[in-house]
Amino acid sequence: MNSKHSRICLTFLGLALFMLALVPAQAQDAVEIVIWHMEQPPQRVERVQGLIDEFNAANPGIVVSQDVQSWGEIYTKAPASVVAGNAPDILFAIPDFTPIIRELGAVQPVDDFVAEIDETHGYFDVGIEPYTSDGHVWAIPLWNMAHAIWYNIDDLEEAGIEELNNWADWANAVEALTGDGRYGIGLPANRNLYTDQVVYNFMINAGASDLYNDDGSLRFNNEQTVQALDFYGQLSQFSPPDSPSWAWGEAEVCLGSGACAMVNQFAFLRSYEANGGDPANLGVMRMPVAEGVEDPGTISYVNAAMILTDDMAKQEAAYEFLRFIFQPDNYGLFLNMEPGLFLPITESGFESETYWSDPLVVQYRDQLETVLDYSRSGRLFGFTGGQTFPSIARISAQNLLSQVGQLVVVDGLDGAAAAEEGEYLMMEAIE
Amino acid sequence: MLGVALVSPLALWLLATIAYPIFSLIRLSFLDVGVIGTGGEFVGFENYQRVLNSRAFWPSMGRSVVWVLGNGLLQTVLAFSAALVLNMPFRGRALARTWVILPWIVPTVVAIIVWKWMLGTSGGIVNTILLRLGVIQEQLGFFSTGNSAMASLVGINSWRFFPLLTIIILAGMQGISKDLYDAAGVDGASAWQRFTNITIPGLKPVLFVMGLVGTLWSVNIFDVIYLITGGGPSRGTLTMPVLIYDMAFLQYRLGRAAAAAVLMAAAVTLFTIAFIYFLAPREADDDDEGWQ
Repeated sequence: MNSKHSRICLTFLGLALFMLALVPAQAQDAVEIVIWHMEQPPQRVERVQGLIDEFNAANPGIVVSQDVQSWGEIYTKAPASVVAGNAPDILFAIPDFTPIIRELGAVQPVDDFVAEIDETHGYFDVGIEPYTSDGHVWAIPLWNMAHAIWYNIDDLEEAGIEELNNWADWANAVEALTGDGRYGIGLPANRNLYTDQVVYNFMINAGASDLYNDDGSLRFNNEQTVQALDFYGQLSQFSPPDSPSWAWGEAEVCLGSGACAMVNQFAFLRSYEANGGDPANLGVMRMPVAEGVEDPGTISYVNAAMILTDDMAKQEAAYEFLRFIFQPDNYGLFLNMEPGLFLPITESGFESETYWSDPLVVQYRDQLETVLDYSRSGRLFGFTGGQTFPSIARISAQNLLSQVGQLVVVDGLDGAAAAEEGEYLMMEAIE
Repeated sequence: MLGVALVSPLALWLLATIAYPIFSLIRLSFLDVGVIGTGGEFVGFENYQRVLNSRAFWPSMGRSVVWVLGNGLLQTVLAFSAALVLNMPFRGRALARTWVILPWIVPTVVAIIVWKWMLGTSGGIVNTILLRLGVIQEQLGFFSTGNSAMASLVGINSWRFFPLLTIIILAGMQGISKDLYDAAGVDGASAWQRFTNITIPGLKPVLFVMGLVGTLWSVNIFDVIYLITGGGPSRGTLTMPVLIYDMAFLQYRLGRAAAAAVLMAAAVTLFTIAFIYFLAPREADDDDEGWQ
């Protein structure tokens, strides 16, 4: 090698060493924030990454990164990560997941930040309550999700069904719609969160929203719950025989394929569209209510972000990122990582141009406005009555509501026996 | 000393990977631990007492027995049938012997998704075919009751594992001398007599290993059950592995889950000892082997 080549090589080596030295220097200066969320579908990950990239570019002192988890594993993985000392800085949550992490002492109260977002963007009333307990707010509400009855309009028109005012109307309609290879309704009876949700919807509309008394004791075994369970069993006779193994996807396919006339579901616009569904034929309505119940509603899940880091610099960086997300234009894009499914939880988000301009949202705007309306009066088991009892996490984690639903649908128990057994299972779970 | 030195790395490896986890499990079963990774207080045999008195434990043990017997029976029948066919000369036999292994190499999750859709009622091919053939008048819910779900799961799991057993039995069959069959043929033995008096005795060592290992594999199957039914409907497929998972990761009672796992391990150990004691091929059996 001659001296010229040596000089060139040394110059490159020097440059490489200089750049290597720069990289850790930058990384040391920046505050790194790791987010764990459970939004696995590729388009959701891509949308979140797009927002993160934009934020990182505009905030050189903060480096945000996402680490995608699954809902199936997070109940195991997150507590283990907290105990092992490698928990993320921000962890997405649903209300009944938060107490599990709180029990480990890892969740930071976020009262001031939530108040700030409320003042700036205006949280809807349903947003903060599920995360409020012991005098603090424990997570930052991000979006809402709400159930509704989705139906094929032409099926109901052919059967001459116009309005379902109460459960008697509903039962008659479901029976009339069943036949010729079609089931009047698709009702799940699997042991999973989907069945929990649908069973609870029946409970809400039978007047059995509250699982707890004011003193924290259970009030599951009551007349209204029995009525809800009996009716669940009655309608399940008109549901496909494999519905005891359903999750959300099977219900979507059943409605989309015309095998079911109606299902109780979140706004599943993307999969409906992907399966060739006709927007003009997709109807949505509130679940009919049992006679005499004056406070109808639907189950809704406010998803939120917990702050786990106790490092003040990281906490401030996490808040900065979330302020960025809540800016209306960014928030619309954020929600539309899954158009329709994720509903605004703030007034400014509700008016966001980017939210309403998504092509899928434009196409299904009527249906979405209806669901948005329902979502504002949504409720969730264990988080009603103005109080939150952490033991709901154990009831929810074991899907005990769906197990009670199975007692009626699969084992053929009547509502009274199922409610009694359900209360026993809940007592056993929270002892 | 050289022998000890040569064996010690393997012994240390076994200690680290088998003895320590077992010790750790037994220790955990005496502690009141909730979430994984957290500490717990010593509670003596309380976890065992609660597990044994729980409503779920004994039915789950029973379902595990049903699961093992169902799988053992179905897989043995399927594997024997396939091995007998593949042991006969026919055109394309080499190809068939290769492709029979396909269900076993398909990833579990893929197989489960495919089976779930095939057995579904929203356009599932099995119901559609049965309806068109007039075998059934309305759709079957393969996972709609505890019994039907258990039977469906046994079918799916057997479909996955019988190819491996087929290959093992086929290898065993090829180790039986052809002369024995020829001699039996000369003596006028029927196909059934040749099967029961030559093939079965000739396969005794293979069947013994298959029975033992297959049972241990089966009893520990978790993925197929959990991914399809999650132990439902209405706990109808809640076998011991699924119950232990539930206790540990859904009920957050790791100590009790450990106690249940120890009890299950004890039951499996007892079964193994009994199986070896009563069914292990002995020299006398070997002497008796063959066409008589």
